[in-house]
Amino acid sequence: MKHVHEEESKYAASAKDFRKNVTRDLANEELRANFRGAMDYLMDKRKSAFSSADELEVLREQCKLIKQRCLAKLPHLLEQLEDKLEHNGIKVHWAETVTEANEIIAQLIAEKKAKTVVKGKSMVSEETALNDYLEARDVECLESDMGEYIVQLAKQHPSHIIMPAIHQNKQQVAQLFADNIDGFEYSTDVDTLIQQGRTILRDKFCQADVGISGVNFAVAETGTLCLVENEGNGRMCTTIPDLHIAITGIEKVVEHLADVPPLLSLLTRSATGQAISTYFNMISSPRKQGEKDGPKEVHLVLLDNGRSQAFADEELRQTLQCIRCGACMNHCPVYTRIGGHAYGTVYPGPIGKIISPHMLGLDATTNLPTASTLCGACGEVCPVKIPIPKILLRLREESVKPNREQPQVMQGQGAGRSAVEAIIWKIWAQVHKSPTLYALSMWCLTRCRFLMPKKLAGWTSVRTAPKLAATTLHQQIKAKQAKQGRG
Amino acid sequence: MTNKTTDINVISRRARGNILAKLKAEVGGADYGKLPQETAYVYPECSQTDNIAQFISELEKNHAQVIPTTKEQMAEVILEQLASLNITQLLYGEKLDEQSDYHREVIEALKSKVTLQPYDFSIDNNKNRLFNECPAALSNSRCSIAATGTIVLWPDENEPRSLSLVPPVHFVMVDAHKLHADFARLIEAEQWQDKLPTNVVLISGPSKTADIQQTLAYGAHGPKALIVLLLNS
Repeated sequence: MKHVHEEESKYAASAKDFRKNVTRDLANEELRANFRGAMDYLMDKRKSAFSSADELEVLREQCKLIKQRCLAKLPHLLEQLEDKLEHNGIKVHWAETVTEANEIIAQLIAEKKAKTVVKGKSMVSEETALNDYLEARDVECLESDMGEYIVQLAKQHPSHIIMPAIHQNKQQVAQLFADNIDGFEYSTDVDTLIQQGRTILRDKFCQADVGISGVNFAVAETGTLCLVENEGNGRMCTTIPDLHIAITGIEKVVEHLADVPPLLSLLTRSATGQAISTYFNMISSPRKQGEKDGPKEVHLVLLDNGRSQAFADEELRQTLQCIRCGACMNHCPVYTRIGGHAYGTVYPGPIGKIISPHMLGLDATTNLPTASTLCGACGEVCPVKIPIPKILLRLREESVKPNREQPQVMQGQGAGRSAVEAIIWKIWAQVHKSPTLYALSMWCLTRCRFLMPKKLAGWTSVRTAPKLAATTLHQQIKAKQAKQGRG
Repeated sequence: MTNKTTDINVISRRARGNILAKLKAEVGGADYGKLPQETAYVYPECSQTDNIAQFISELEKNHAQVIPTTKEQMAEVILEQLASLNITQLLYGEKLDEQSDYHREVIEALKSKVTLQPYDFSIDNNKNRLFNECPAALSNSRCSIAATGTIVLWPDENEPRSLSLVPPVHFVMVDAHKLHADFARLIEAEQWQDKLPTNVVLISGPSKTADIQQTLAYGAHGPKALIVLLLNS
């Protein structure tokens, strides 16, 4: 199977370290307190955002169907989007891999001889590790979302797709500012911290040559790029510099403008419990003749990076319904405990566990689909009804399939397969298919139960070893029935 | 340089071909007539009075200041607010005074008390001025949305989009007669799909962030204060 990525992403390496990362982060009490507090806050906010269970359910069903319709028509909508955007004066570029996307963006910047870039929040640009790529080419790429700015200053990655610096508390941010910003006096007052960020970043917006942003919805019908945000940095990046480059995944296209209101309503309410974000910014063209501001050029980069692989399988395609609200991680007992960095991927939490295998391959992400209790919370809160638990089970299956078995659905298929485990299950299946074998095995097990080892690898590291019963359930029921018959 | 430019076009063309081919292989022969019916939630119809109350309440929840006023009192209200903020300058959309007699009267009344600056310059050589010398701005609005407390701006050559973004205080004139129940009904009523301009902005409060320990702080990058002058007469 053709590899989705040409060169190993840095996230492939960190995702492989999942177990090590988990041990490290579970031991960090401050980190765990930060996540617990933040997740409780976000769950409460979402809960109070819907007037009735009925409204929520109708909206979820509607939005699921909208996204499924848009996916069913995806190639046609992408063509329509491209047509409309080009007609409006926005140039469209396509990239299959993260490297291609980075090359395109770097080239657009180089053509303008630009040296400074301000970036609005864009998880797709995290996917491509664009900051590293541009920095290596001597272009300063500054994150301007407050959370992203903090994370970049700390030389970290976002730990949450909506609230990137959620793993830090205000004392840690205050220390970070004091250590890195000349003249900043340590203060844990959040207003002071934000005003400090504002002062620095407004100066950058004023000077920057290029603005880079993500896209929440790309409307095929009108050729419009929609951005959802509270801070105004997205508007700054897409309004002040001469060149605006937007980057997004191919699944973000919607068919009609009328598809936007229900999706927007569910997005902001599921994410932060807001009825709407402070700004909803709809961009349909570069600066027109006579207009006094706005970028003179607007470009859109459409990125695949494994999405077409998910698209090819009907069940896995549902992964692409995601509108990136983050509700699944907010409600995930695993995410809340291990935090966003332990996953080692750009997208953490439940959605990360089902989308990352397409981006990085199942070989780099074998552990992720197993890092779930299958409690079902993610599927229940998902605004577009992605059956995340079912997809997790499917990915577990794909990761233990023989690696040559056709059809090959996933890159890295069979990466989690162990020969011993496979043989054990084969024997188990045989035993359960034949009544004679089954009875024989039960006879042996009940008699040889003293042979049960005291230590059973991972199981007994935190539990006592199980004890086999002296008689089987069948025997016990038979005995009971016989007794009742006599009575 | 020319070579490299060709490079990204080649990359893009090849990627486009590959991506579309892969996607089309999966949806070939799909019958789009058989897609399931999508049912929208039906929100109850509200009276104009209820809609206005909802509009004000949502905006205030989001820390905007809403001042119901009249055409006659508009200038006075703005001057009072400017005085309380200690601001003596106001940037406004060029030709705002040409929109109607009342707009002209408001501008005339303001002119005599504060330094009025029309946005009559291109941003290109004036970024420093816009960022550092314009403490407040006054803009019009196209319409508004009750359900979410949202003001719709439709920027154009007279009211550039940075007018409502860069100055730290944003005064916006809102006509209660142009209030729509929700975003979906607004798009439908005005048939937006046929006429979107360069940029449409929906604004529902002053700029804010909760990125540090979920603590709300206002004035992250855009206006620290949004003062809504609600005309309802």
